[in-house]
Amino acid sequence: MIRFFALRRRRVSKGASPATRRLSCGLSCDTTLPTLSKRVRLTGWATADLARRFNRCFVADFAHAAFLAFVAVLGLAAPVVAQPAPLPAPPRQHISIGYVEIEGDPRYEPIRAYERLVLKTRDHPFTGAQIGLDEAAALVRVLNTEFALERITVKSPTEVASAVTAALEGRGVHFFLIDAPAEAFKPLAAAVKGKEVLAFNITASDDGLRRDLCAHEFVHVIPSLAMRMDALMQYLASRKWRDILVLEGPLAADAETVKAFTRSAQKFGARIVADQHFKTGTDPREREQNNPALLSAIRGNYDVVFVADEAFDFVRQVPYHTVLPRPVVGSIDLEPVAWHWTWEHNGAPQVNSRFDKKSGGRRMEGADWAAWVAVKMVVQATLRTRSADFAKQRNFILGDAGFDGDKGLPVSVRPWDHQVRQAVLLAAPYMVVGSAPLEGFLHRTNELDTLGDDEPETSCHMNK
Amino acid sequence: MPTLRLLPAQLCIVVFAAVWSAAGWAKDTGLVFVSNEKTNNIIVIDPKTNKVVKDLRTSRRPRDMHFNSDHTKLYVACGDDDVIDIIDIAKLEVVGKLSTGSSPETFGIDESRRRIYVSNEEGSSLSVIDMDQNIIVQEVPTGAEPEGVFVSEDGHFVYVTSEVGDLIHLIDADSGNVVQDVVVGTRPRRFAATPDHKELWVSAELSGEVYIIDREKFTVEGKIEFLPPGMRKTDVTPVDLRITRDGKTAYVTLGHAAHVAVVDVPTRKIQGYILVGKRSWGLGMSRDERTLYVANGFGDDVTVIDLKTRKATVSIPVGRIPWGVVIDD
Repeated sequence: MIRFFALRRRRVSKGASPATRRLSCGLSCDTTLPTLSKRVRLTGWATADLARRFNRCFVADFAHAAFLAFVAVLGLAAPVVAQPAPLPAPPRQHISIGYVEIEGDPRYEPIRAYERLVLKTRDHPFTGAQIGLDEAAALVRVLNTEFALERITVKSPTEVASAVTAALEGRGVHFFLIDAPAEAFKPLAAAVKGKEVLAFNITASDDGLRRDLCAHEFVHVIPSLAMRMDALMQYLASRKWRDILVLEGPLAADAETVKAFTRSAQKFGARIVADQHFKTGTDPREREQNNPALLSAIRGNYDVVFVADEAFDFVRQVPYHTVLPRPVVGSIDLEPVAWHWTWEHNGAPQVNSRFDKKSGGRRMEGADWAAWVAVKMVVQATLRTRSADFAKQRNFILGDAGFDGDKGLPVSVRPWDHQVRQAVLLAAPYMVVGSAPLEGFLHRTNELDTLGDDEPETSCHMNK
Repeated sequence: MPTLRLLPAQLCIVVFAAVWSAAGWAKDTGLVFVSNEKTNNIIVIDPKTNKVVKDLRTSRRPRDMHFNSDHTKLYVACGDDDVIDIIDIAKLEVVGKLSTGSSPETFGIDESRRRIYVSNEEGSSLSVIDMDQNIIVQEVPTGAEPEGVFVSEDGHFVYVTSEVGDLIHLIDADSGNVVQDVVVGTRPRRFAATPDHKELWVSAELSGEVYIIDREKFTVEGKIEFLPPGMRKTDVTPVDLRITRDGKTAYVTLGHAAHVAVVDVPTRKIQGYILVGKRSWGLGMSRDERTLYVANGFGDDVTVIDLKTRKATVSIPVGRIPWGVVIDD
């Protein structure tokens, strides 16, 4: 187990201007800060310089008062009521957020073409959580609360549940960022049922976790597969690219993706003209399945080719190899994602830049965004409820509150399945082509609910 | 003794002469300046003809602009080059630069102390710049993504918003310390003060509100929510705001809701909404308070509003992603 406290204290600024030195105690107390001096709380990173100035003022005031009291006692013999001593500042509160990950998680192995040709490097989204924590540094003084991340590394997905309960019972940690695949969630749900835990799912997009597992203690920050497929389909529908050729890979995840995509096609009125199963290889006897040209040479027309290839292998040879000149979407070229490093609206460039600095040059991705937002939710809950009480914070997060996800419309938690409603970006390699919900896709209450399982569409109804 | 008696009178004459000549130097060109984030230029418009008279190249990503007191110079914060460009109004060209922290966004000028206070969006700090020496004399740490800057009339305090921290910092200008914070809505952006110096209005972009801060107590004492007809709460993203000199009326741009709200300041009631362009942000008001200019970030144009009829009269194409508007009048 690794513990890592990532909270950084802000450096106190040194008063460098000559004005600082010239300012006398009397000026600051009597004229410059007529009413403030009593209310200024000298915690956090208000400077020591200022503290000294106020202390001097306080001493002067106190001496003055004492003198008057003395005169009163001697001269008038009137009873003197002692001033109550100022209350000591309440002790600083600490809120620790657990970050649970799995050692050697295969989801973060680099994707290679050959041993030494790395196509994609991948990493745990811990840096996303760290930038969320850094942003909270300015609030330490206002809230009198310090936030920290506790990084907990376990050996396998099945150990996530015991790590969470141990941190809850042993160290009073209530909030957890779960960086684990879907299989970790069923045992976790059983272990924390009814307990004072809020576990943020930051990486697993499986629809089953939302529909079937349906646990009160989870908040799914990463968009579900259904949301991402709906976003892509909204884009295709908005372009009137309604006839779609599907190329489906051999993995279970590919089948799940095609299932979700088919559901989205029905929802937005598109047609899947063929669903071709591909195999990776060069065996001429299997050329009908391993050759993109033959796979795309179907009877009839199509507007676009959708490829489901979790392995990111076959899909690389699909663009420019189809029989008809058609755009390729899904696992390559146009991908529906929670975040992209080229998103340049809603304050995103600043977030990307903070992430870039913190990670040493890695580009921020969807899971990093989810980790960042999860930490923000905990910080906002503390700020808005002015409390470190878990029940109040949980109710705030699960309530109507909107959070700033830097993707336009405020993000919030759907009360029926605890999925975080949010925009989904449609990312080409160097450009976000669109942000779903796209213009014209309307909803009776919140446009974001045109993506994924709306209340009447799911089997999970935690709000009922 | 007679010299002593004469002195105040002489002083009066000197002061009068100084004011007179300063007014004489001011050109009052009436020109409208629009900064454009993506095209690295300021488009200068003649308000009489609504025609573009000059395309003024600046450093990269020009945003907030302020004139000096006699309007001979225009200062422009340029976010991607970490400088404030100085533009000579008579020549309409950049004649100097001041260095800032990382990604300057908005700023305030205190000419009596020859200081500029600029928020550094990427650096999470407020830089205090000595205008004459062109040096940063102090760096005040703020919450993440500081934006709006307001310098109190007496120059003793500087107010700064932190977009990510949802805070307003009150900074003692003399010491450069944050002395107090107040929590407002989500993503606080810009300030406008009432002319009686009692209230400070702050736009909160993501929660769609304007917060009203009592300046003496430094507490939130009210807020205004907006909802133009046919819009949803989530479309309302207020950014810039102006209050008229009589302290009666405020104008607030509502961003994605593509409207400017008109607010009666004493009652804080919304009097109406004026339709403008997409992602309306920056505001500029003519000195006679008859015309309002609105920079439409996603429309690459500026909408001109006649404040008497409260109607948009014309939209003028400018550069890409117009940010702010100032008027030399």
